[in-house]
Amino acid sequence: MKALKLHHDLTTIWRTEPGWRGVLRSVNHSDMGKRFIVGAFAFFAIGGVLAMLIRAQLATPDSAFVGPEVYNQLFTMHGSIMMFLFAIPMFEGLALYLLPKMLGARDMAYPRLSALGWWCYLFGGSILIVAMLAGVAPDAGWFLYPPLSGKQWTPGINSDVWLLGITFVEISAMCAAIEIAVSILRLRAPGMRLDRMPLFAWYLLATAAMMLFGFPPLILGSILLEIERAFGWPFYTPALGGSPLLWQHLFWLFGHPEVYIIFLPAAGAVSTILPVMARTRILAYGALVAAMMALAFLSFGLWVHHMFTTGIPHMALGFFSAASTLVAIPTAVQVFAWIGTLWSGRPQMKLPMLYLIGFFVVFVLGGLTGVMLAVVPFDQQAHDTAFVTAHLHYVLVGGFVFPMLAAAYYWLPHFTGRERVMQLGETAFWLIFIGFNMTFFLMHLTGLLGMPRRVDTYSDAMGWTWLNLLSSVGSFVMAFGFALFTIDVGLQIWLGRHHRRNPWQAGTLEWAMPIPAPAYNFASLPQVAGRDPLYDQPDLGVVLARGQGWLGAARHGWRETMAVDMVTGEPDHIVILPGNSWLPIATAGVLAGFFLTMLAGLYWIAPLFLVGVGVLGWRWAWTNGTRVDHGPLPAGPGVALPLSTEAPGTTGWWGSVFALAASATLFASLLFGYAFLWTVAPDWPPPQLIARTLLEPALALLGAVLAIVGVRRAGPDGRTALALAAGGQIALFLALVLLAVLRLPSPASHAYAATGAVVAAYAIFHAALAATMLAFARARIASGHIGGARLGELRIVRLWSDHAAGAGVVSTLVLALPGWIA
Amino acid sequence: MIALVRMSAGLIVWAVAFCVLYALHGLGCARGWATIGLGATSAHRAVLIAAWLLCIGTAIGVAVWRWPARTGTLVERTGWRLALVGVAATAITGLPIVTLPACL
Repeated sequence: MKALKLHHDLTTIWRTEPGWRGVLRSVNHSDMGKRFIVGAFAFFAIGGVLAMLIRAQLATPDSAFVGPEVYNQLFTMHGSIMMFLFAIPMFEGLALYLLPKMLGARDMAYPRLSALGWWCYLFGGSILIVAMLAGVAPDAGWFLYPPLSGKQWTPGINSDVWLLGITFVEISAMCAAIEIAVSILRLRAPGMRLDRMPLFAWYLLATAAMMLFGFPPLILGSILLEIERAFGWPFYTPALGGSPLLWQHLFWLFGHPEVYIIFLPAAGAVSTILPVMARTRILAYGALVAAMMALAFLSFGLWVHHMFTTGIPHMALGFFSAASTLVAIPTAVQVFAWIGTLWSGRPQMKLPMLYLIGFFVVFVLGGLTGVMLAVVPFDQQAHDTAFVTAHLHYVLVGGFVFPMLAAAYYWLPHFTGRERVMQLGETAFWLIFIGFNMTFFLMHLTGLLGMPRRVDTYSDAMGWTWLNLLSSVGSFVMAFGFALFTIDVGLQIWLGRHHRRNPWQAGTLEWAMPIPAPAYNFASLPQVAGRDPLYDQPDLGVVLARGQGWLGAARHGWRETMAVDMVTGEPDHIVILPGNSWLPIATAGVLAGFFLTMLAGLYWIAPLFLVGVGVLGWRWAWTNGTRVDHGPLPAGPGVALPLSTEAPGTTGWWGSVFALAASATLFASLLFGYAFLWTVAPDWPPPQLIARTLLEPALALLGAVLAIVGVRRAGPDGRTALALAAGGQIALFLALVLLAVLRLPSPASHAYAATGAVVAAYAIFHAALAATMLAFARARIASGHIGGARLGELRIVRLWSDHAAGAGVVSTLVLALPGWIA
Repeated sequence: MIALVRMSAGLIVWAVAFCVLYALHGLGCARGWATIGLGATSAHRAVLIAAWLLCIGTAIGVAVWRWPARTGTLVERTGWRLALVGVAATAITGLPIVTLPACL
């Protein structure tokens, strides 16, 4: 009876509202995870149809099926959709749904951020699809190289659709990265030390970190290209000191880690499913963690291997070639660990295992051609041929799609609570596997025979006809396989019989709950003593349902979960998560207004939407916290813990740390771009430098000092100190505006001035943000939200203020220095 | 968090080394250091070799620092393994400095 009452009480607190209110206001991680997965699969279907159109065009020589203009849109949209609207959101969805359940938590660290990410993804992706239906889809390739994507060669809005739509979607990716990192590090079950974490969480932690450092260069590159297209600031125009190679560097600084950002979550799924299928425990847990970490780092040293034919000197090519071949070693360590796990267990050829076999075959082949392409002379021969297309599909379909299909069949009972109906999945596997290899293995040969990528047609005299026809037939076979998979999943959802709990007899925590999962996941949170809690205690689910774990009661209508020490997993404090809210969809809607007005060229209206985002952000932050101290509250067997509002090192603080790390990466990428252009681009040094001045730098330095000192003096009654710090930020703001407007040459005149203006804009934005946050903190002291033991918000504001001060000083130096030494 | 940074220390050294070598290479080519003779080699290559050796030395230093951790917890042991990976990666990715023309 106690279990039933607890279930009822917790459901009341955690449930999604019925009807449209629930659709628009839900922030629950299971809802968001499912939405991301369904959305990503819908985009995958659209991208798949585009792929079939591409193959229809290439099936025969001199084809008139679609013209070159449409064909350019087809392959650009196919690549963009699969990379940005399918692969990343699909793993985000899986992470959002599974992570809290695997970690023994009730939700992610920032439920409203999950919802904001979902709406940004939906709106941003919709911009791209609507543009395609309107015939103005991006058409300069999924990597949008200038000068082709520039205003001169793409005068329509096609490139703007890509730049603005994808950047909108990237907000979602950054939200997910911060959310995933903090959730894994803090919101785990008590006792779940780092070395007891499921490998899936380790892989996602590395992926989130890679996203934090990998996405900002692309976001910066996209901002610069959009500014160049909108206002003529010449970042990528050689005649005015820019360089198209800067785009390639920024794009591939993101683009190559992106391959591993896609692969690592899939590898995490493989590491979770494989031992269950083999009825054993994973072999070499530590080696897998080390290999995964090595991969995460080394993958940032490969980006120039996409640029081997751009004329970069041999020695630099050698650096990247060495790193590109080196990365095969940690990948191989993982493959051998998985094979060893199979070897040491008693594998069962159940459906997820079948897809894992497909993963092994296809991914290893893709890895081997990757090593071939890492070798400069071979790459220079095969560059931009169908061989590369074949390689990347072997890596991405092998390294992501096959594991995701295995994951779909493995976790579907968790989502649906039902069994499979028919044996369509096996047929689907063989159609996909045979169709895929028929399509892409033959493309290796077409490529070696010299067929370039992205050509809309070819002559019969080239000798590529039969290979292309067979590839096209294979692609349609594969499409039938995916259609069967979709039908199979649909049948399971609607017709399957109800399934028992933990159907695979797995050891991870997501199976220690009824299926489908209740909105609150666990009626009480588990105490973990090993890597496979359900193997250690098979009746754990029942024990938790009775409320015999941590936080096993519903109180005050609070959405409670546990925060633990990052390393030891010792209970640290109780986190109160926010409930359903209009704020995420409202914020995403206002952001959509910004991106759409930019797309429409209404540049003077667009900033109003940013003000709207600021107002909503203020409201968002205001709804957090309490006006009274609660002191330590009962959390579990004889243990009382403080609430997050009264504890240091909260999830909010860590989220700010990661957000600032991403922002600092963007700033560092900008400084790299500035140094790159100064060193490599033609027409440097620029004809006119910044005017020599000491006034603005002195004002900036004074402002930074005031900000740093003021924010440190601010305590629970530190309204004067906060005003001092805000004054410092305003001084910094003014100094940088004066430098950029009065002293710097016109940004349209040369890449030097354009880059300098963006450096100033970065610091100006952060100073304004910090001043606003300081004002917010002052208002929170007045309202009583900050006071007593509730000082967490002050710590967060200090982080942002310090970052703004530091960025302001660095920006001032970067801007003023050329004037001083000229 | 400090535990995770310690665990990644060897790889962080590699990442810094990679950036430093690539930056020095670009700077040297742009400034014409390759045309300045220094003994049997050029000033450019000499600077790169010195930086490379310094980076390898730092990576070895991290490995020595993490040596006691090789018998510790899994996170500590992983840090020791990754410190060795950092040494090997720094040495291998820098090899082109002594084998390939700098600015061709």
